[in-house]
Amino acid sequence: MPGFDFSNHARNAALHAQGFPLPKATSTGTTIVGCIFDGGVVIAADTRATSGPIVADKNCEKLHYISPQIWCAGAGTAADTEFTTALISSQLELHALSTGRKPRVVTCMTMLKQHLFQHQGHIGAYLVVAGVDPTGVALFTVHAHGSTDKLPYVTMGSGSLAAMSVFETLWKPNMNREEAVKLAAEAIQAGIFNDLGSGSNVDVCVITKEKTTLMRNYIRPNERERKQKSYVFSRGTTAVLREKVIERVDIGKYVTVHEVPLEAEGEQMEVDT
Amino acid sequence: MDHLKKGEVNLGTTIIAINFKDGVILGADSRTTTGAYIANRVTDKLTQVHDTIWCCRSGSAADTQAVADIVQYNLEQYGVEYDMPPTTQTAAAMFQELCYHNKDRLSAGIIIAGYDPRHGGQVYSIPLGGSLHKQSYAIGGSGSTYIYGYCHANWREGMTEEEGINFVKGALQEAIKWDGSSGGVIRMVVLTAKGAVRHVYLPDNGYTGPGTK
Amino acid sequence: MTSIGTGYDLSNSVFSPDGRNFQVEYATKAVENGGTAIGIRCKDGVVLAVEKIITSKLLKPGTNKRIATVDKHVGVVSSGLVPDGRHFVSRARDEASSWRRFIKGPIHTSVLASRLGSYVQMYTLYSSVRPFGVTTIIGGWDSEDELPVDGEVGSGPKVGAGGRDESLRSGGPGLYMIEPSGLYWGYYGAATGKGRQAAKGELEKLNLQNGTLSLLDGVKEAARIIYVAHDDSKDKDFELEMTWISGKDGPTKGRHEEVPAKLREEAEKAAKKALEPDDEEDDAARGDRMEE
Repeated sequence: MPGFDFSNHARNAALHAQGFPLPKATSTGTTIVGCIFDGGVVIAADTRATSGPIVADKNCEKLHYISPQIWCAGAGTAADTEFTTALISSQLELHALSTGRKPRVVTCMTMLKQHLFQHQGHIGAYLVVAGVDPTGVALFTVHAHGSTDKLPYVTMGSGSLAAMSVFETLWKPNMNREEAVKLAAEAIQAGIFNDLGSGSNVDVCVITKEKTTLMRNYIRPNERERKQKSYVFSRGTTAVLREKVIERVDIGKYVTVHEVPLEAEGEQMEVDT
Repeated sequence: MDHLKKGEVNLGTTIIAINFKDGVILGADSRTTTGAYIANRVTDKLTQVHDTIWCCRSGSAADTQAVADIVQYNLEQYGVEYDMPPTTQTAAAMFQELCYHNKDRLSAGIIIAGYDPRHGGQVYSIPLGGSLHKQSYAIGGSGSTYIYGYCHANWREGMTEEEGINFVKGALQEAIKWDGSSGGVIRMVVLTAKGAVRHVYLPDNGYTGPGTK
Repeated sequence: MTSIGTGYDLSNSVFSPDGRNFQVEYATKAVENGGTAIGIRCKDGVVLAVEKIITSKLLKPGTNKRIATVDKHVGVVSSGLVPDGRHFVSRARDEASSWRRFIKGPIHTSVLASRLGSYVQMYTLYSSVRPFGVTTIIGGWDSEDELPVDGEVGSGPKVGAGGRDESLRSGGPGLYMIEPSGLYWGYYGAATGKGRQAAKGELEKLNLQNGTLSLLDGVKEAARIIYVAHDDSKDKDFELEMTWISGKDGPTKGRHEEVPAKLREEAEKAAKKALEPDDEEDDAARGDRMEE
């Protein structure tokens, strides 16, 4: 059956009543941004995935494909952004096939907001939707509860405050492609360096009328350097306190060994040659 | 609004709609918040649901957008099916139906304002419980509490367009000044026989312009 | 009839080779035997009248009404199979109340006619049903001015409504007739049932398209037309049933109501008088004639 299983809710409530803390949903700290420029739109994201205080993945992908010229940056619950964008991508492709037209960004945004509103915020997907369609360039944010905004530059995730401060300082109207990419990358780096939930590299996706360019690890400001010293322990660092050697012939004293014939009953795994 | 869901986007808001000599004027600030963070400082809370029927949204952004989308769809259907434009009353009835029957699940305070030549300008208010009130002018949102006195003292019947715009602007400026959840630019829509005209006033110049874009 | 024995008249969902639906034509035959029903669209209201044939002396006079109220402002009268008419009225009431539930106001007469037209038409498409054995006349008054939304709190402000164009009018009387095929038109005057030809002739003489006939005169004319139309079947007794709908300034204040007994009796008296013009004229003339 499709859908969600809420049966754990009763269990959690009962446990909570006995004084156990409620389990927390995994929410990824993230910085994602989007910015319109003359002739297109750019979105960018950091690549850190967290699980509580642990960095679960140092180089994950937060830019999701919707259609060739519509892409999403996702923040919030990682699984929700992944599956929601995949679902809408699939529906939008079928829609494009049945209408015989290129999919539009507003259509994508509307499908996302209606899906998220239906689930009343239980799907923790916070998305930046960007793209170019026959009507022009478009950039939206979609919040988990189903509200949307249309703005020339947007940020989301735990690093959105840091990123927004960059936009509010450096953004200007009618930027060209290079300026916009630089600004978006700069905003992501503000998140990487100033927000604990964000880190590692900068992914960028540029969409114009002509083509889409995904620049994976556009900036890698956190390259792992060679260790300045060797931390290999030299032989003899640990003192030998006692030594005992067991000969091969005496091994039967310690373990029992049975020879198993190869042509035993039961099926053998077949391997194609 | 104390019953928003956790992390939900809130239109901590001031909204207003008034009747004037030639029709109606809708007005709103432009602040959208998530907790203490301003998620959008240039929000458009004035939403068109038919040619000359508009609404001001306050409360949950997601809820009011969803409700306005449904009403917009139904009014379009109405116009096509019956070959006549829906009246402001019809729009108000549709909003009320949704707001009242889903009152437990929604946090939406909506003001509907519309103009048609036969009925003139009309203003309806639907507060949280989903009741429907026809008013000569209506205010709503967290910032409205600060301007009840201002509006009561300054609203007059049959104001000119200029007087109406100044009244709405004056009220919203006060609300923005005193309410922390209201701010940004002042947006307006003037609905008359000439159609819908948008206005915007920026804080940069003390809300003096640019007016009609 | 050419259709007999061909099989093309046995089912709704089968056309005859020359493109006819015989079931619908038979339904029209059922209507042609019903008591005459008429509707007159006057300048300030609508009159509905029906010739109710008395099938038994054991039926209490003035009961078993044939004109139904569908919503406050709409009335329906039909000719043909009475139970079919009842079902039709039930559907009309459902449509009117579902409109009220969603739109919170009275349904437009034109919209109701359209919906009921579609409903009747559905009964011509399927082999599992038969068409309606009635032709129905719908009369209504669409409010000429603003109505409050059902359920709105209070009565609204006394001021406001800026920019209203006082010269614009809308609403007013509406009259529609729906046939068993689902075909419906708006009419100035509509007639159906046994005496429809005579009634139509009389209606045409009223020049209703000029929009000058008053509701009060309409009531008198309606009574007269029913009496004229009854002429052909004089052997049967009948009762005249009449309802009317006026605007908010008229006698019914926008509601569909029965014509008051006094006024109806007056109209009936005048109708009977009009039917015996020779005697009347002689009587009247006698008094005036100068005697030598």
